[in-house]
Amino acid sequence: MSALTRLRHMDFWTAITVLILTVLALLLILPILRVLMLGFVDADTGGFTFGNFVEVFTRNYYLNGFKNSLYVALLGTLGACLIGIPLAFFTARFVVAGQTWISTLAILVLVAPPFIGAYAWIMMLGANGFITNFFAHFGINTPTIYGAHGIVLVFTLKFFPFIYLMTQTSLNGMNKSFEDAAENLGCTPWQRFTKITLPLVFPAVSTGAIICFVLAIADFGTPAILGRGFRTLSTIAFSAYRSELGGLPTMAVTVSIVMMAMSMLALLAQRRILAKRRYASALTNPPRKQRMQGWRNVAMHLFCHGIVLIAMLPTLVVVYTSFLKTNGPVFIGGFGLESYERILRTAPDAITNSFIFALSAVVLITIFSGLISYVIVRRDTAASGAIDFLMMVPYLVPGVVIAIGYVTTFRGGPLDVVGTAGLLILLYFIRRLPYGVRSTTSSLRQIKPSMEEAAVNLGAPPAHAFLIITVPLILPGLIVGALMGFITAINELSSTLILYDGGTITMPVQIYLAVLDGEFGLAGALSTVLLICTGACVYAVFRFAENRDSAFL
Amino acid sequence: MASVEITGLRKLYGNVMALSDITLSIPSGAFYTLLGPSGCGKTTLLRTIAGFHAQNSGQIAIDGASIEDLPAHKRDVAMVFQDYAVFPHLSVRDNVAFGLKQRKVNRTEIDTRVTEVLEVVQLGHLADRMPHELSGGQQQRVGLARAIVVRPKVLLMDEPLSNLDAKLRVDLRAELRRIQRDLGITTVYVTHDQEEALAMSDIVCVMHGGIIQQAAPPLDIYLRPANRFVATFVGANNFLAVSRTAAKATLVSGGAEITPLIRDDGPVVGAMRPEDVRVLAAGTTAPEGDIIVSARIREISFIGREMEIFAQTDAGEHIKAVSRPDPAIVALPENSPVTLAIRPDDLSFFVDSGDGVRVP
Ligand SMILES: Nc1ncnc2c1ncn2[C@@H]1O[C@H](COP(=O)(O)OP(=O)(O)O)[C@@H](O)[C@H]1O
Ligand SMILES: [Mg+2]
Repeated sequence: MSALTRLRHMDFWTAITVLILTVLALLLILPILRVLMLGFVDADTGGFTFGNFVEVFTRNYYLNGFKNSLYVALLGTLGACLIGIPLAFFTARFVVAGQTWISTLAILVLVAPPFIGAYAWIMMLGANGFITNFFAHFGINTPTIYGAHGIVLVFTLKFFPFIYLMTQTSLNGMNKSFEDAAENLGCTPWQRFTKITLPLVFPAVSTGAIICFVLAIADFGTPAILGRGFRTLSTIAFSAYRSELGGLPTMAVTVSIVMMAMSMLALLAQRRILAKRRYASALTNPPRKQRMQGWRNVAMHLFCHGIVLIAMLPTLVVVYTSFLKTNGPVFIGGFGLESYERILRTAPDAITNSFIFALSAVVLITIFSGLISYVIVRRDTAASGAIDFLMMVPYLVPGVVIAIGYVTTFRGGPLDVVGTAGLLILLYFIRRLPYGVRSTTSSLRQIKPSMEEAAVNLGAPPAHAFLIITVPLILPGLIVGALMGFITAINELSSTLILYDGGTITMPVQIYLAVLDGEFGLAGALSTVLLICTGACVYAVFRFAENRDSAFL
Repeated sequence: MASVEITGLRKLYGNVMALSDITLSIPSGAFYTLLGPSGCGKTTLLRTIAGFHAQNSGQIAIDGASIEDLPAHKRDVAMVFQDYAVFPHLSVRDNVAFGLKQRKVNRTEIDTRVTEVLEVVQLGHLADRMPHELSGGQQQRVGLARAIVVRPKVLLMDEPLSNLDAKLRVDLRAELRRIQRDLGITTVYVTHDQEEALAMSDIVCVMHGGIIQQAAPPLDIYLRPANRFVATFVGANNFLAVSRTAAKATLVSGGAEITPLIRDDGPVVGAMRPEDVRVLAAGTTAPEGDIIVSARIREISFIGREMEIFAQTDAGEHIKAVSRPDPAIVALPENSPVTLAIRPDDLSFFVDSGDGVRVP
């Protein structure tokens, strides 16, 4: 076959593979490469330099940010493990009343807008917080929420659901015989837990921990709201970007690269450790739950329900404050709907923008998830392997990084015609695409390839076979992916903050600005709107997902 | 109805040769079976004909026209899948109508043809069921109906019965054959079950290691296997060492002279089917003219309709014999000496090296 006839004969899926690679190259690889390159550019001369990195690793301002990021991310992850693992162990091995309730609350915590936790804690424990004021009444000084320990607290309570849900899934899938054998060989329950159970769930725990760590490093909202002079790399990158506005954002980019490198190193380290420990086991003997007796039982229930309630507290506070009577930024006692009136009056754009952007991104996510998962699952080529690998990248790249990449790559370039709104949609699309792909891929893996083959064999062209046979069969996966994409897109803050302009403000940005202005009523009302959308999506995911808990991981 | 002509077909997976220089010719209307052990390349050959993947070299022609450049959806060959591949979200009727809709057949004709074919496969009463409400056998009937309703040039079936239980398999086997005969549709059928292959086919093509060993009508395959592989794979066979000098050939075991039986030079082995071996208790005289080999009983299993006798010759060859149950034999203890009697005509010979080609 000559090259020309080959081109003419290029089948549908080869064309789609080319399309996918083009889109990923343009919207994902190019901006990231651009960011990486900018890190080596001298802002003044435009020439090549290592100076930016030298500056980051020698100037105290950056070094402290680096240490601070590492500190809060590590402690936050540790905290999440310390409450997530016991919670998982209790719910997987003992009869805990209200188990579904616990996991539902944990999932709600997981998907709630990320910065809500931070400012809700200010309302509770800040200088004028109601818990602070309550104790002040009795002359007791509560520790302030601002600074490192506040951030660690928020991270702990925000991220423990990852550890909890992953560990629980792993514990539920563990062959009970291992634990039985250990007991039979004379292990005490504690030895059994530390020597057998814990090592066996280590892969799940460490995967959860890596997710926590990566998210904590990248988190912008929490340190921005709670930091008060305690700066992490993400807030440093953001303010560097703000101050370099107009010039080349070389320092912002350099700091971002360091963040990315930290996430990647953590992931690589975990992969290395995991590679040596692979435990496959057939679930021949599923674990049975025991009943805990007496005060232990009470303590366990207090712990389990206490944890998820405390983690839900910020959300409840936010909803509560949204219904407080306000006059401008001031709460004037009693309940009222003024805050909601105000968001309709002052921030209708934020609401409509949020929906338009998130929904448009979800349409793209859904279309591409279907196509990409087909290419990954059904086609065994180097290109499909590359696409599979690229789907991990958005998890690892902080929002700030990719947003700066978008600004520097597309502003003023040919893609600028899509405008800020278009760029935001494309950005949400590329950042949240992996959620859709993952869910759709796992759906497609359960469909036998003979389905599509039968359709093609009966005369349906490949594209048509995909549409009328494959798509209906993977619909649950597509829907769950779309919902997850929507939840995460509508709650996006850090990259929107970098890209948005007057006409493209979104709810999270508006909330962030309101919190900075001390407009807690307004922030509360907007957050409640976000929470309701998110909650509705979570409910829909429960309806469509096969395994409701792991759909969110 | 159409003939299929395959020449020099090769298919590699990486550097694994799945099909090696396959050349075969399927007459119009024939029931052509690919038979061979798992991994011998049957599925690969079938899927290459269907166009699910491209061959590395070689030609496939239907009715003399090469189909190399036709993508799978334009080949007009219909496949019945081992796992049924019935579309779970479409009713039986919509499943069967699928191919007709792709061919833009008009609605009324679709309705008549679907109803007609559902009667043929005896599913008329289940037309509006969803696939998950059907048994495995019924799903496979849908798979068959869906394939034949488009009146394809060639019908391809990849172990369509292997997921069904034994009784149903035998019933459906007969039905498949009847439908195929009635429609006269050229069929390529894949199985690893020799009984199925022999019972259904016009031509059986025995494959091994991606290479065609023999393609012939069932009786020929059984009576005149082309080589040692076919001889062992289709029905069982016992092999006896032969010692040859320039002038004379004798069986190593028993020493019977067999010179006139072999029309070839070089080292050979003798072979005989288990049902051609008669086992006689020591002292019984063998029929006139039979070749005699003495052996000892290893094991006897009585399985109802027949008994299987495993014996070992003096030269150490393991022999299996099958015959009607004989109380005198079944009672023999292990190690009892017996006489094995074989009619000279039932003995065949294969070259004792390489591919073990049959000696005429
Ligand atoms: N997709 C594939 N990739 C690599 N090797 C394959 C693939 N499909 C089949 N093979 C190999 O090709 C050979 C023939 O396989 P197959 O045609 O499935 O055999 P059969 O259907 O006779 O059991 C086997 O060795 C098998 O391992
Ligand atoms: Mg096969």
